[in-house]
Amino acid sequence: MDERIEEALRRSRADFTDIRIEQAWHTRISFEGPHLENLETYFEMGGIVRCLVGGGWGIAVFNTLDDLPERVADAEHIARLVSSELNERFELPPAPPIRDQVRASLQKDPRTIPLQEKLALVRRYNERMLRESPKIVSTRTAYADSFRIVTIANSEGTLIVEERPDTAMLLAALAREDTNIQQAWETVGEAAGFEIVEGQEEKAVQAARRALDLLQARPVQGGIYTVIVNPELAGVLIHEAFGHLCEADFLAKSPAMRQLLTPGRVVGPPELNVVEDGYLPGRRGNTPYDDEGTPRRRVYLIRNGVLEGFLHSRETAARMGFPPTGNARALSYQYEPIVRMRNTYIDRGQATFAEMLRGVEHGIYACGFVGGNTGLGQFTFSAAYAYEIVHGEIGEMLREVVLTGNIFETLHNVDMIGDDLTIYGGAGGCGKEEQQGLPLTLGGPHVRIQNLTVGGRTT
Amino acid sequence: MKNTLSAKEVLARLPGGAEGEVYEVHRQVRPLLFRSGALESLRLSETAGRALRVIVDGRLGFSTTTDLDDGSTLVHNALDSAQHGEAVGFHYPSAAEFPQVPCFDPEVESLSDEEMIATGKEIIARINAEFPQVQVHVGIRKEVEEIYLLNTSGLEVSSRRTLLLIQAAAQVVGEQDILFIPDEAASRRRQEVDAQAVAENILRLLRWSERTVPLTSGAMPVVFHHTATAVLLLPLLHGLNGRNVYLRTSPLSDLLGRPALDPRFTLVDDGRLPFARLSSPTDDEGTPTARKTLIQEGVVRHFLYDLKAAALAGASSTGNGYRGQSLSGGDFRRRPNVSPASWLIAPGERSLEEILGELDQALLVEEVLGLGQGNVIAGEFSNNVELGFLVRRGQVVGRVKNTMIAGNAYELLREHLLALSAEPRWVMGWLHTPAIALDRVSVICGTVER
Repeated sequence: MDERIEEALRRSRADFTDIRIEQAWHTRISFEGPHLENLETYFEMGGIVRCLVGGGWGIAVFNTLDDLPERVADAEHIARLVSSELNERFELPPAPPIRDQVRASLQKDPRTIPLQEKLALVRRYNERMLRESPKIVSTRTAYADSFRIVTIANSEGTLIVEERPDTAMLLAALAREDTNIQQAWETVGEAAGFEIVEGQEEKAVQAARRALDLLQARPVQGGIYTVIVNPELAGVLIHEAFGHLCEADFLAKSPAMRQLLTPGRVVGPPELNVVEDGYLPGRRGNTPYDDEGTPRRRVYLIRNGVLEGFLHSRETAARMGFPPTGNARALSYQYEPIVRMRNTYIDRGQATFAEMLRGVEHGIYACGFVGGNTGLGQFTFSAAYAYEIVHGEIGEMLREVVLTGNIFETLHNVDMIGDDLTIYGGAGGCGKEEQQGLPLTLGGPHVRIQNLTVGGRTT
Repeated sequence: MKNTLSAKEVLARLPGGAEGEVYEVHRQVRPLLFRSGALESLRLSETAGRALRVIVDGRLGFSTTTDLDDGSTLVHNALDSAQHGEAVGFHYPSAAEFPQVPCFDPEVESLSDEEMIATGKEIIARINAEFPQVQVHVGIRKEVEEIYLLNTSGLEVSSRRTLLLIQAAAQVVGEQDILFIPDEAASRRRQEVDAQAVAENILRLLRWSERTVPLTSGAMPVVFHHTATAVLLLPLLHGLNGRNVYLRTSPLSDLLGRPALDPRFTLVDDGRLPFARLSSPTDDEGTPTARKTLIQEGVVRHFLYDLKAAALAGASSTGNGYRGQSLSGGDFRRRPNVSPASWLIAPGERSLEEILGELDQALLVEEVLGLGQGNVIAGEFSNNVELGFLVRRGQVVGRVKNTMIAGNAYELLREHLLALSAEPRWVMGWLHTPAIALDRVSVICGTVER
């Protein structure tokens, strides 16, 4: 296959050409209540060619390799069309060619585990949740593993073959009392093998019990609160509030955005450090090479409260005069790489949890996450469950806690950063533009934020 | 081209007594992207894939492949899945009379790259003519797909479909703020995708956004307009899904034939609307599509079913078995699932302008952040108002910021419906809805920086 790829590359007359081929083995299992909803294994193969001509990209996606040279010609043709519309030319500075093979090291390669063994395990977790109480009316238990072999080659002579494993599981329980319906879940997700989903009964029990607890929880009263977010939610906060904004494809062609986000701008307190790292072996954002073949580089988005770096593809790095960081990632062969996060976290600080609680008269301790969303300026993120803080002590359980903020305010209102640090892979992923569900991690320590707006009932 | 294995040959490889269904998609997609006013890329995607669903000894199995030359792995995987699969009580539908639903427009198929580029440039020029500092991003996407469905009950359907989608967004970068105003239009027919209207809508919102105003927290009238209407309709998407009704995770599970919402609220699921994004003659498992009134004058009349959910619940498929993420079909990788076709909300009698004119003060919400977060199942919502305006007696006073809205969609649509506007419009190519004005929605305002 490598020979066919390199031959096709040689024929291209574009300024730059790259080809990425993906072979992927997948298993998916899901239960909904007592019903086995899905059980499948499948294989998928496809590829993508990108040609750059005068700064315009032409892209061709396919899933038969038979006519690779024609696909390259298609991409080149489209690139010339795009290029003819451009007012200014752009050339990609050359990168040194890399020849490498990256093998995954797995304790239990999911491709070698029989389907029935996977099914039996998932069924056991599902039944464990249903057994917890008659009030657990349904569940959503979903397991997915994939093993991808990605070949990245370009006209500069790079040829990288990388194995990318991913195993994830969602354990969600739905509890009902009359019309009160609540759900809670636990997740596992790593760039690892079947071993990571074994021995997780405790998570099933936790999910079921929390769903039951939420039936008794009070909906939060909306308002402005001092909020302590747990490490998982701190990760969502930084991902939504700042991570996306540092994706340089939002900046590279926009002088106004670049002016707004000038490195050196003070964006938070001096204790705030935010790291974006491609090197966390076994974690879902571990990317030895990104989908352009750029080796990973660790980036401080915020160092000592000051904006420092951005996340780059080769193009955005060149346009902004920085080295590429290895953040050009694609969901699959069907898409071109765009600037994405990998493992993003707030680095640990010095405060203990007890110190954070101290002095909080009426606040919220918000935990876990449902999701988050950013409009770049404003962002929102929601807690899976929460507790009120009264006179410095954890009180009753709360639900429907959705928090919102503005990038230039909220981080300044961070007043304490915990001395713990946890990183989460989760079972979902990040969505940007048309590419939804990219595996990555996020995390941080416990973080305390003043004056955070919490949605909810006014009475 | 190699000789690909036909769908019939795949079915022929199944063991005797097995029921089988092959679903095959050949798809051409051309997405075009302008970023910050400049053309960035054009992609040509030509992919094909095949799904095989089998029922062996009453058990369901499923697998997919992108390799149309290979039948043995696909058949092996599907049979392996069936060996451990769930017992199901349905059979694949046989050939029937299918409704005539126009889904293919040769004008979309023949749309050239140059024409798509010209449309993008027009949108950018129109917005920048009035707001030169605003950055405009545009995506235009053309799809042509052929779908082929064959089963052992004798059904054989093929269908060609087109889709044209325009998405545009204006971005305004201020000292302390980034304002993002998106809009989109989608249809299977070219003439129904109005690029001019997308630009005009964005311009209207840009004009309204020039001034930021403070707002005081409280329960107040909120008018959900355009994309924001989805805040109220996502809970119904879960609640009217027959599978969730059967599993008792729907708050509507005991309300069939009974009033659940305000009597002015009528909701129709229509899989036959000509050229609508979610229309087709059959759903993705061969059941003819239909037009059903789900909520009639506030009373729950029908739930949505696919074959599998219908068999569980003792109902019939309503032609709502689609393969894809929610609100789309046609993804061969996904097994069929209950999913809506176009949702049409009956309009009211007064215009949005009249409705707003009668309210002393209202919050008009156009876009929210965090759609679908929170306890959607129970109808709860709590969203950041990404784009919302304070309106007094019909006059837009200015944009509000750092504001959250919260409530329960079921409760608000039952107890506090003020009005539905007379002008329905398409949202996300799925909903055809008027603006929905509700009273007593909780609004929480944070500090407003100037």
